[in-house]
Amino acid sequence: MPTYNLNINNKPYKGVPADPDTPLLWVLRDILDLTGTKFGCGVGSCGACTVLFNGKAVRSCQLQIQEVGYAKITTIEGLSEDGSHPVQKAWEKVGVPQCGYCQPGQMMTVAGLLNSNKQPTEEQINSAMSGNLCRCGTYHRIKAAILEAIAK
Amino acid sequence: MNTKLQRRQFIKISSAAGGSLILGMLLPQACKTGTKAEVCDPLQPMPYLKIESTGYITIYFARAEMGQGVNTSLPMILAEELDADWSKVKTDLLPFGVTIDRPDKPSSGGYYTTGGSQSVITDWNEMRRVGATAKAMLVSAAAKRWNIPESKCNTANSVVYNTKTKEGFTYAELVCDAIKLPIPKEVKLKETKDFTLIGNAAPKKNLGSIITGKTKYGIDVKVDGMVYAVVERCPVLNGKVKSFDDSACKNIGGYIKAIQFEGSGMPMHIHAGVAVLATNVWSAMKARKVLKVEWDEAGHGNESTEELFKTFELKSKNTPLIEVYKKGDPGKVKASAGNTLESAFAAPFLAHGTMEPINCIGHVQKGKAEFWCGNQWPEFAPPTLATELGIDEKNIKINLAYIGGGFGRRLFFDYILEAAKIAKQYDKPVKVIWDRVDDIRNDAFRPANYHRMKASWDDAGKILSWQHHYVGCSINLMLEGPGAKVVGDMTGGAMSDFWYDIPNVKTGFTHVDFNLSRGWLRAVEININVFPIESFIDELARKLKKDPVQFRLDLLSTMPKRMTEFPFQDPQRIAGVLKLVAEKIGYAQPLKPNHFIGVATHHFSFCPTYVAHAIEIEMFAPKKFRIVKVVAAVDCGIVVNPDGLQNQLQGGLAFALTQALKGEITVKNGRVEQDSFFNYELLRYPEMPPVEVHVVNSTEPCGGIGEVGMPTVAPALCNALAAAGHRPYRLPLKKDGYEWV
Ligand code: FES
Ligand code: FES
Repeated sequence: MPTYNLNINNKPYKGVPADPDTPLLWVLRDILDLTGTKFGCGVGSCGACTVLFNGKAVRSCQLQIQEVGYAKITTIEGLSEDGSHPVQKAWEKVGVPQCGYCQPGQMMTVAGLLNSNKQPTEEQINSAMSGNLCRCGTYHRIKAAILEAIAK
Repeated sequence: MNTKLQRRQFIKISSAAGGSLILGMLLPQACKTGTKAEVCDPLQPMPYLKIESTGYITIYFARAEMGQGVNTSLPMILAEELDADWSKVKTDLLPFGVTIDRPDKPSSGGYYTTGGSQSVITDWNEMRRVGATAKAMLVSAAAKRWNIPESKCNTANSVVYNTKTKEGFTYAELVCDAIKLPIPKEVKLKETKDFTLIGNAAPKKNLGSIITGKTKYGIDVKVDGMVYAVVERCPVLNGKVKSFDDSACKNIGGYIKAIQFEGSGMPMHIHAGVAVLATNVWSAMKARKVLKVEWDEAGHGNESTEELFKTFELKSKNTPLIEVYKKGDPGKVKASAGNTLESAFAAPFLAHGTMEPINCIGHVQKGKAEFWCGNQWPEFAPPTLATELGIDEKNIKINLAYIGGGFGRRLFFDYILEAAKIAKQYDKPVKVIWDRVDDIRNDAFRPANYHRMKASWDDAGKILSWQHHYVGCSINLMLEGPGAKVVGDMTGGAMSDFWYDIPNVKTGFTHVDFNLSRGWLRAVEININVFPIESFIDELARKLKKDPVQFRLDLLSTMPKRMTEFPFQDPQRIAGVLKLVAEKIGYAQPLKPNHFIGVATHHFSFCPTYVAHAIEIEMFAPKKFRIVKVVAAVDCGIVVNPDGLQNQLQGGLAFALTQALKGEITVKNGRVEQDSFFNYELLRYPEMPPVEVHVVNSTEPCGGIGEVGMPTVAPALCNALAAAGHRPYRLPLKKDGYEWV
């Protein structure tokens, strides 16, 4: 089995064994025990697995480990450990989560969006967020939290 | 009062050297909800509160936390009476178990059911009494130290104060003394007006853990030595595995073996299947793709929902119904020609689509078994698991985790039973993960339903009769088999306690069988029935050229309370929330051109909660609209956590809009056609309309909140569309070509 050197949450992971076609999602969850990144569908339809790839939001279920290279990967655990990232702070202030399962993915998508665009328009927000499902329906608060994060 | 409640009594679970005070209840062991509750024995401790001499206060909740916020609302109730410093209180999921003999391992006894929006209602008294009892003991310990009467002490923020000297002892300092005191028989509870915690918005206790990705859901649990499994299931229920061939799987690294298992019937219908075991999920998934299975579909494979709805329609016309509620006799009413209306409403099967796909770890060893998963009703599972595994119920342990979405899906233990069938054939723990296709196709679906509604009136426009014939697929028949006591199980809410004052009413049910597992979905039958009821009452109003709000208010104003039959129901509170949404959305004001408002109101039959919705839409074409704004009003008595209430109502709206707009499961050739969120669509972020939730200020007893935001959404939206001239008669709207922007 091939091994990979990975750069996750600013930490080097050396010689991670995985089949080349293993989605990054399962490498994170099963091998590295970073379970904050969630499995929701495995086919790119829900956004629960979103992580940052060189600062850009990507679906980790759609990214094979062989394509990752030494790109800078950020998961929810690395956004900040103590919840101090502006997006996490906004999420906390608004009290977004219900079950919380989709929320790491939601926050990573917003973090990715704000990385490339500090003042996104409503249209840009809609298009970034439309791939992240929340079955508990916290969209109303997600919206409020995004506005809060932008304002900060 | 029922025996189960009478037998509950307080106990100190631990007064051991550890120096912590654990207060709890004695509960009947293995006490199951429902029938056996009265006879179960012996009593077992169930802790609610732990105060440690280190200063930590932990409040336990014995309900599944799945987003609805019981991990905050229930402990708040206890902390209120305890006068605990809420900011320092930790809350924790009480382990579920039926064998508790170790005070250091607190457990819930056989008691956990989480459904029907009942948690706060059911646990209200006990949580308060535990808090008040602990406080009394701490006060008494402090009074002894000061040598003053207890009446000269007061409490706040985890401190007992001497009212005269203003000196104080923290609860931590008093624990070791309090432990030695007897439990007071009677304690005084606070007056509602003295609440300082209840009624104030509190963030979820695990908010910090969620936003840093630390919350562990069932799917995140790892057990030493475990392997992973994914399952290829028979495409139809009640089929069998004829044969399978795993030779290609063997080329996949990490592949372990394939395990065949049979499906099962009552109470949990699970599909026969072949589990593919591997050392990691991805290998298991890859191996599953190359596994070959031949199925024996046992004569199934022809069913379709298209045919089912044709049967529904036919039966609604020509089958006598099983009566649910009758008042007067609609059959004897003679209305003049033209004074009648008849309509039919329909809604499809629905999948729960919880964001956390179904999963369960099973570990079966000689004579015992252990499981790890999220579940809403763990006491439902052990008897069937025991039979399946041939072991004693006592030796089955279910470890509960936080749940990434329940909505009724995890009231069923089909996935625990499936894990048992697989794990009993392997000597290590097996973690069974359902992918999204499995999750959608093998759900316990909310039953499809069809309603024929009839009404008549006299020449003055007074409604004389109302008939509601529900044709659908019973859940109880699946759970209990042909001998099911109640077949019309989906008719309870809103059909049996129908709340409009009409002299002749008849409601009833006809069951139609269908080879698909069925279960409860958020707001269950109330959600099912309020759609046709609130649509039809609106249609009647418009037919009679009356204002739909006033028309309802008139029919509610003369409706008496029926305390013996429906103690929770107060028609004036149903009217109250309706008036409130009408006021808040500006119902009486002129609307912009092409804007229309629809309303719906209801009593959530299981508890004293009343919710109405008003929805304003803008029409762009006969079937194209935009939701401008949604206003909800809630009357649920005392509100424990206003923040939780808002979140449930906002989220409930999104959940209900999914159903109204696009949620639909269809079956063709016996197979569920949907398999992902691409074709079983949920509401997405850009589709969420602006929403306001208004709460009636009240000191009435608590109602529930988790499900109540659902039932009135679809009818309010459909009534708005009707106001625009196009009444929808079936859900989802997408099916009939409606578009929204
Ligand atoms: S799990 Fe990756 S998008 Fe759903
Ligand atoms: S908070 Fe439960 S799915 Fe989003």
